[in-house]
Amino acid sequence: MTKKHNAQAADPRVVVKDLTITNRFGIHARPAALFVRTASRFTCDIEVEKDGSTVSAKSIMGLLTLEGSQGTILRIRAKGDDAREAVAALQELVEKKFYED
Amino acid sequence: MAVTVAQFLEAGRDPLALELAAGKRHLRKTIHEEALNRPGLALAGFFQYFAHRRIQVFGLAESAYLKSLSGTERQTRIRQFFEKQIPCVVVTRGRHVFPEIEQLAEKFRVPVLKSALITSRFINEATIIMENLTAPEMRMQGTMVDIMGIGVALEGSPGIGKSETALTLIERGHSLVADDITVLRRDSSGRVIGSAVPITRYHMEIRGLGIIHVPSLFGVASVRPEMRLDVIVRLHRPDPRIEDDRTGFAQQSREVLGVKIPVITLPVAAGRDLAHVVEVAALNLRLKQLGHDAAKELDEKLMATLARRGG
Repeated sequence: MTKKHNAQAADPRVVVKDLTITNRFGIHARPAALFVRTASRFTCDIEVEKDGSTVSAKSIMGLLTLEGSQGTILRIRAKGDDAREAVAALQELVEKKFYED
Repeated sequence: MAVTVAQFLEAGRDPLALELAAGKRHLRKTIHEEALNRPGLALAGFFQYFAHRRIQVFGLAESAYLKSLSGTERQTRIRQFFEKQIPCVVVTRGRHVFPEIEQLAEKFRVPVLKSALITSRFINEATIIMENLTAPEMRMQGTMVDIMGIGVALEGSPGIGKSETALTLIERGHSLVADDITVLRRDSSGRVIGSAVPITRYHMEIRGLGIIHVPSLFGVASVRPEMRLDVIVRLHRPDPRIEDDRTGFAQQSREVLGVKIPVITLPVAAGRDLAHVVEVAALNLRLKQLGHDAAKELDEKLMATLARRGG
């Protein structure tokens, strides 16, 4: 795992970040829509992984299938020129609890 | 493969009329073989070929036999049976569970389940459930539809129009299997079966509309719970670097769970009726499978004509 992280860190166009869902109801429809809208502002490919399931961060249905409840850790993996900005924007959204609660 | 007894109980609750009789705390025990076993001979004391890693099914014969034994004898036999470290016991026909079984199950940490079905039916249905639970599985980013009995998975980057294409296909009378995320598993006969993730099943997300429930809008015939995967259709934006198949000779394919699935790559151009092209692609594949290869047949005719003229 560490090795993989290092390999990815070597490529500046790849950003990996673990985010913990803290809002009470987790990733239900509205947060998923906000997440997708934010992710779609960027051109990079963004994947979200939970328990071995990987979906596109630009797909609402995909995010809903992850069933991300409060306390879930999502691994965000962005690849592309604006990967850093994209991950920062998603991190802010998750940390601000999708402007809920 | 490792299925827990809890997973088996959950999957079989309705179809097998299955319930827990004893050993609630041991439901995390794992089942390492998908076949089921009737332990008649083991109960009679013959352990040489005892398939102890399987689910042990107590039917009428087992119950009647245990009943015929004296109290101490029964206790001994059931103890010997449990000492073999079995994953779980199922008592069929809704029969009552011998108190010795309940006690020893607790002692040896084995869950005991009860089914209302008769034994032969239970074994048939439970075998299928175990096969499904142990089938190799993966998720793919793609929308799956059933086009006249042909299972088609649409894939492509976000926003390319997978869901919109599926929506048009539904309007034309085809059925949705899964939108955006398709769960694929390989069944015991080596076919790849697609289905939706239960939580989002039969829902779609259409840009500008949001989330819709397909059967409410288009009727129950517009969806189906699962479908064999026959072909993958890749949608991509026109790109001079990607060579599209202009003749239909080159049959691309991809290994999915160890099974070769044909892949068709379609460029998405503005104004192109993609749903129609996908429909024809599915039909054409069916035709090929029936032994008619339009591209090949035309070419053979052409070559025959050219050979005549050339001579």
